[in-house]
Amino acid sequence: MTTLEGLAQGLNVALDPSVLIYSLFGALLGTLVGVLPGIGAMAAITLLLPITYYISSQAALVMLAAVYYGAQYGGAVASILLRLPGTPQSAVTTLDGYPMAQQGRAGVALFTAMISSFAGSMLGIVILVMLAGWLSDLATSFGAAEYTAMMVMGLVAASTVGTGRPAKALAMVVLGVILGCVGTDVNSGVQRFTFGQVQLLDGINLVALAMGLFGLAEVIGNIRKAERHGPPAKVSLRQLIPTRDDVRHLFAPITRGTLLGSFFGALPGTGSTISSFLSYALERKVSRNPERFGHGAIEGIAGPESANNSASITAFVPTLTLGIPGDPIMALMLGALVIHGIQPGPMMLQDHPNMFWGLVVSFGIGNLFLLILNLPLIGIWVSMLRIPFRWLYPAIIVFVCLGVYSVRGATFDIVMVAGIGAIGYALAVAAFSPALLLLGFVLGPLIETNMRRALLISRGDAMIFIERPIACGFVIATVLLLAVPLVKRIRTR
Amino acid sequence: MIRRNLRPHLMATSLVAGVLMSTAAMAQDWPSQPLHVFVGFPAGSSPDTIARLVADPLADALGQPVVVENKPGAGGVIGVQQMLAKGADGYNFGININGPMTTAPRLIKDLGYDPATDIAPIGLIATSPLVLAVSSEFEAATADEFIAAARDEPEAISYGSVGAGSGAHLTAELFSDAADVQLFHIPFQSYAEVTTSILGGEIDSGFMAPSAALPHVQAGTMKMLGITSLEPFAQVPDVPVLAGHAGLPDDFRAELWNALFAPAGTDPAIITRLHTELDTILNTPEVQEKMLAMGWQVQPGTPSDLADRITQDTAMWGGVIDAIDQGN
Repeated sequence: MTTLEGLAQGLNVALDPSVLIYSLFGALLGTLVGVLPGIGAMAAITLLLPITYYISSQAALVMLAAVYYGAQYGGAVASILLRLPGTPQSAVTTLDGYPMAQQGRAGVALFTAMISSFAGSMLGIVILVMLAGWLSDLATSFGAAEYTAMMVMGLVAASTVGTGRPAKALAMVVLGVILGCVGTDVNSGVQRFTFGQVQLLDGINLVALAMGLFGLAEVIGNIRKAERHGPPAKVSLRQLIPTRDDVRHLFAPITRGTLLGSFFGALPGTGSTISSFLSYALERKVSRNPERFGHGAIEGIAGPESANNSASITAFVPTLTLGIPGDPIMALMLGALVIHGIQPGPMMLQDHPNMFWGLVVSFGIGNLFLLILNLPLIGIWVSMLRIPFRWLYPAIIVFVCLGVYSVRGATFDIVMVAGIGAIGYALAVAAFSPALLLLGFVLGPLIETNMRRALLISRGDAMIFIERPIACGFVIATVLLLAVPLVKRIRTR
Repeated sequence: MIRRNLRPHLMATSLVAGVLMSTAAMAQDWPSQPLHVFVGFPAGSSPDTIARLVADPLADALGQPVVVENKPGAGGVIGVQQMLAKGADGYNFGININGPMTTAPRLIKDLGYDPATDIAPIGLIATSPLVLAVSSEFEAATADEFIAAARDEPEAISYGSVGAGSGAHLTAELFSDAADVQLFHIPFQSYAEVTTSILGGEIDSGFMAPSAALPHVQAGTMKMLGITSLEPFAQVPDVPVLAGHAGLPDDFRAELWNALFAPAGTDPAIITRLHTELDTILNTPEVQEKMLAMGWQVQPGTPSDLADRITQDTAMWGGVIDAIDQGN
């Protein structure tokens, strides 16, 4: 079957009224849970799963997928307006989105996030259709050595994400890596820093950490200045439209963000959180005036938002073509397919072409719907800023608690989020970047397990990182990343 | 006056009678409110799907809703702890895999419960064997060749598991011990990673669920050399059993299982009733087919069968863990 035939067949499936309705419903729900801090696609898909037993397999998967990519749109809203990431993936959007909102450019920031999300998704779909075969080979050609070298490069590159002194940035990355050590060590089964708490055996809950560091810390921080917060003016449609200068700054970051996101999305286990961080770091690196970042640079929204959306599209490649889910949400969707008697894997495209192409076409329809849905909503979102803090913040705390609880139904995690919130506030007062802590937390354990695994595979020979060409490429890039600024520094002396 | 004096006596008598009758009355009125089934794994996982397959017909049979509560974490242990915290009031139950009932007391220091005294078994639900899977490019085509190759060069053949102490790890160690070979252990986080690594040629082999290997076998990228059940498994009938072959003992068996149980102290009448209902559900062809499609073979059995299985498996895996501890 050619690609065109496949797309035609997919259009047939995706436009079937029953499938279409579920797709639109999923996208709407996704946006909603994305906007609510803490409650993410995971919670929504978990709740919807029992319903999928009673609808067709196509409608089920199309709906769950729409929740997944819809949440990427919503996530940016609270990040920009309230400095509360709706999802961990959009944490990096707070860095420049929130300053823009404070400068009265919340409308433009939201518009940028939406248009970048849309462009990232659409380009991601094109990449998925053209390169599905290549992307699925990519997943198997990346072994432990490649992951290690790539993650180390990511950590080095993204360490420049925050503003302020390098020593403070480094301290946060290290603290994040240390927090990532909590839990059962895969290699030995030894329990590290669990203090006899069975709830800590699987490590600290990522959502609890993100919501505590960003959400709760922000709420506490704002209590002091609550009285001074003046209501922002009403946003007219004109204020949504970016200036010509803004638009000029959009194309390149969206293209780079999409390429980066598509690549990372296709690699199981890396996913959209990391791609959004790396996209931010990349934009800052290539920018002619990097000092604008952290003070409302529009590229700082466009890059990461297109990256996390394209990653959420290409993440379907390993799930569907190899039966290998890249993250827990993908594992849930795989479960939904298995319940319907469809085993995703190398035979998926042959055995269930309807399913595959229907899903791909539904991505396009769903994203178009999300854009049409979200652009008019921007005005409503911005008016959220006019809600007095005494109403808004208690509501936020309720949603944060609900969201954290929804991950695995543990009251323990709510207590955790309170503790992390207090620490997050202390860090904010001392001007440490919580984004870097989150990055260290996500990347640290990945680097550790992959590095130890690579060394087990090579039976202890560290040359494995140099001998394998892809890994070697990442090692060279890391060395360059570290050496170039050093050389520059020495020369200027 | 006399009547007034009699009152306390009457009350006391009726109180005693009430206590004596309450057990019988409870079993008669039961269930008068929704049942809660604690599953130690997230929605969409296989224990969760199995729980839901059982919960729906169970609710129909009992005339009360059966609510599946997902309390994932620590390999299913959190689900058991949460069930025990709710108490033995006849409305809290658990569906979980073998780990929390067998190996958890050995592997987790602060478990907080003892499967032997805190759990009342109701019945086994389903079992799943593991297959020994290798890449299609791996030289050995049978389990015999695999073992011969492993014997030629100790620790040359590597295998992936989903972490130290996991079912895949312990099964491979049990296999190595029985076949008298030494395989090289490389832990991963998930079966998905193990599969990717075998396909990418990074590691040689792994014990995994038949349904995980099947799509890759059909695509020609993987081979299944043997299966750990005593009989061939309906989902992959062509894969030979390891037991009695390749120099392994006739009773070589390593299976994952899912079972229904209650907190110890739950009314025996309720346990009997639930076991009867479970038996009926597991004997319906529709449920059996759905389970098999997911890679699970239904295994109806009595509460004492389940208790025996827990004792046997605890001893067997305990021996494997001892051997690993001594090796280190």
